[in-house]
Amino acid sequence: MEKVFSGKIWKFGDDIDTDTIIPGRRGTIPSIDEMKKYAFELLKPEFGETVRQGDILVAGTNFGCGSSREQAATVLSSNGVSCIIAKSFARIFFRNAFNSGILLLQSDEIQEFCEGGDIVTVDVDQRSVSVNGRSFKVGEIPENLFNIVANGGLIEDTKKRIQEGIKPLEIAALAKDELYKEGYTLAEKLLRKNSGVSHVVPGDIVVTKPDMFMIHDIYTTYLLATLKKMGAEKIHDPDKVTIVWDHCMPTAVANNDYDHYHAGLELAEKYGITKLHVGEGICHSLMHEKKYAKPGEVATATDSHTTTYGGAGNFCTGIGTAEMAAALVTGELWFKVPSAIKVVLNGHLEDGVLSKDVILKLLGDIKADGGQYKSIEFTGPVAREMSMDARFTMANMALEAGAKCGLFEVDEKTAEYYGIPLSEIDWVKMDDQATYEKVITYNINELEPQLSCPQGVDNVHPISEMIGTQIDEVYLGSCTNGSLEDLAIAAKILEGKKVAQGLRFIVSPATNKVFKEAIEAGYIRTFIEAGGVIIHPCCGLCCGMPYGLMSDDESILLTANRNFIGRQGTAKTLSYLSSPAVAAATAITGVVTDPRTL
Amino acid sequence: MSTFIETLLGAEQGSIAIIKPDYMIINDGVSSTAIDRIATVGNQDKVWVFHDHDVPTGSPAAAEILKKNLAFARKHGCHYVQAEGIGYQYLLDEEAKPGQILIGGGSHASIFGAKGALGINVSIPELARVVETGRYSLIVPESVSFTLGGTVAQDVSMMDVAMAFLAKAEGLEGKVIEFYAPALAESERSVLCSMATLTGAFTAVMVDHPAADANILDLSQVEPMVMLPVASRGEQAKAAFVPKRTLAGTKLEAGQVGGYTGGTIEALRKAAAKIEGKTLARGFRLSIVPATGNDYLQALEEGIIADFIDYGAQIQAPGDRSVVVQGAGAMGPEENLLTTGLYTFAGAMGSAKAAVYSASPESVIEASYSKKI
Repeated sequence: MEKVFSGKIWKFGDDIDTDTIIPGRRGTIPSIDEMKKYAFELLKPEFGETVRQGDILVAGTNFGCGSSREQAATVLSSNGVSCIIAKSFARIFFRNAFNSGILLLQSDEIQEFCEGGDIVTVDVDQRSVSVNGRSFKVGEIPENLFNIVANGGLIEDTKKRIQEGIKPLEIAALAKDELYKEGYTLAEKLLRKNSGVSHVVPGDIVVTKPDMFMIHDIYTTYLLATLKKMGAEKIHDPDKVTIVWDHCMPTAVANNDYDHYHAGLELAEKYGITKLHVGEGICHSLMHEKKYAKPGEVATATDSHTTTYGGAGNFCTGIGTAEMAAALVTGELWFKVPSAIKVVLNGHLEDGVLSKDVILKLLGDIKADGGQYKSIEFTGPVAREMSMDARFTMANMALEAGAKCGLFEVDEKTAEYYGIPLSEIDWVKMDDQATYEKVITYNINELEPQLSCPQGVDNVHPISEMIGTQIDEVYLGSCTNGSLEDLAIAAKILEGKKVAQGLRFIVSPATNKVFKEAIEAGYIRTFIEAGGVIIHPCCGLCCGMPYGLMSDDESILLTANRNFIGRQGTAKTLSYLSSPAVAAATAITGVVTDPRTL
Repeated sequence: MSTFIETLLGAEQGSIAIIKPDYMIINDGVSSTAIDRIATVGNQDKVWVFHDHDVPTGSPAAAEILKKNLAFARKHGCHYVQAEGIGYQYLLDEEAKPGQILIGGGSHASIFGAKGALGINVSIPELARVVETGRYSLIVPESVSFTLGGTVAQDVSMMDVAMAFLAKAEGLEGKVIEFYAPALAESERSVLCSMATLTGAFTAVMVDHPAADANILDLSQVEPMVMLPVASRGEQAKAAFVPKRTLAGTKLEAGQVGGYTGGTIEALRKAAAKIEGKTLARGFRLSIVPATGNDYLQALEEGIIADFIDYGAQIQAPGDRSVVVQGAGAMGPEENLLTTGLYTFAGAMGSAKAAVYSASPESVIEASYSKKI
């Protein structure tokens, strides 16, 4: 790709979603050359026939929103689209587009001065786009990112870099007093530290060297294939990589899981990865339990709930398989600096009201896209009174608002959990000079337990509106609410009680450590005596694996993080999400129950 | 002298007996289909419905079966038991008494013979009829006696004894097998009785006195055994039993210790003793499945569960996991499993292209060190 180039414009409005770019039913066509004919088929049926190599799209806000499907980017790149200029881009599309070899530029002015068919000229070095005699500024694109596009996308780019010999990125560390510099959000502070860039603003692209990469067994098969396709004989730093077998372990789906299991072992063997956790618990819980994701650092993983360790002030977010493959080889990963929302939690958590209720309340208020590509940052007395486990619960579910990350400030609790002196990490704190896009304030004293209702995480109701709803199965577990603290809360409610006749109660401790401590504390005995069954620590039913799948018109209440249609059974299974306290109370009565009334 | 069954039924061999079973058992396995045939229930207090096979449910279809079973139990006022592990083992441990009669629709009701009770396997239509009427008619079968003598060598378990017995058994179809073996522990008795009907026998039972004409089984001659895979469920009774040494070196990807052959507290203790100081081979998946909720609790108490967690095993929910179509422990194509479960047909444990071998808990644990039989 040249640094200066021109192309014919296709013009679009705001909120062009990935279904508009390529309808879901076309997204499974096996050949991309066949699929690409259907790009924009409902909005601009002529597009597939008339688009030419080098054409440029100009659009409004939130281009590429909706489903995360990678094909939305690949149909455009395979149709020859080289560049998209928009007011803003949806988070996952943004990454997918660059990785597919499309240059994305942000401008909120050009839209008014051009029409479809006009020719726009892009000057990368000058950071400008010109059309009809006018010129407009666009955001900066770092060299590395431009090279990905120039080389035809991430896989090709990485292949080329491997052939040329990977040149490690040199990052000059920021001086310690720079870390304390005010005027930055938590996300900005963490990204400044890792990238060595002294000043950042939202929308900037920074290249980081993540301190830890985690791969779980859903993606081992694809990751291994991609690394082979890239011709990678070695990876940058095997010590910074951990593999966790948790979604497909215990192996449960006959024709799939064994392959993921063996691919993970092959990855470890071929690339010398030694931090392996086979069936020892859920990846996100292990990442903080094993201290792999530390405060002040950057971590990434092939999973959306990677946001979890934000509870400890770690910048962490999920990436796709191709990106992980490239990042493992180069040791580098780019991020767009997110804008941020500050959430101030005033008051105090009353008995029976938990961090899960707080995050559900927020999700219900800002909805599933309310945090799109943003950093949601929590502060206030309630954030400070929360335990580490409670903070991890909140950060874990921030993702469900579309957030890039959910971050807590670092304090004595964080330092103690990690065994790190607070003075080394206390720069991970908020300051009054930082610019937040929005500040949301809650008085938690008034909060009652919340329930996410069928079918969508953001369909949240206070429990008082749902009391008495019949429930057939209760599932206590997941990386959201499978901690020792969560099991303790449930065990206290269930002690000496029996679950409702015919109700199935399933418990999955988040990790082996939690499992053993729960045995020691007597919680496991309490659950079994109450009529529950214990499954080995794993992702289990939370991700729809066969650990309590439900039938039509049955209702399940889970402490998990997602209740999308069909996730826990059939399209007619109704899934509710709640705190462990609500789950335990409901298991006893068989109907949705407020734990404060037992 | 009367046989066990003649005494119990008060009827001579060859005569017709009409009995009123003390327990009629339906679960979420094959026997749940009996419910589709039942209009009324004769004696609801004697009918027990268990959720013990697909725990927790591995598919929406499994949940659909539970929905039906629960509605049936509620409608007719039958017992409904879940989360207690294998129904037969639960009844054996908690309810059944010597001299009682139990009827089930599976293939291992003879387990109750361990306690001197009469466990009878019947067809599904017969089970439905028995539940409707509370009655069962039979012609009192012939009995054959065996006396177990000698002691087994170290690391030879009751599963090996049962397999050695099955390997040589002939002409036992439709008969009652009487075992005299006073030295056996209760869990060993249940392994022997539950497996003995793989001969096609009517049932098996432990008796208190040796029969004069008994066949003698010399335990000291028994060596570790393996049951080989078979092509289909219908051929399970024809599975071959061979000495383990003939399969030495066969590669394995997984092992399972559980069920009434491996998941009782006695069996779990033996298995746990064999992991001490050992390392689980990388690439070997080990499942531990306590037979009942009480076995699980006892194993918790004794530190056995924690030891298995440390060893790297996966602790599954109590229940009958000898057939897993989809759920924890399912195997992939071209993989081999060594299990204490008694079903080795293609597809019993996941992929139809996986091979399932059955052996004792000791043999499974030994295989976990090396990924080989």
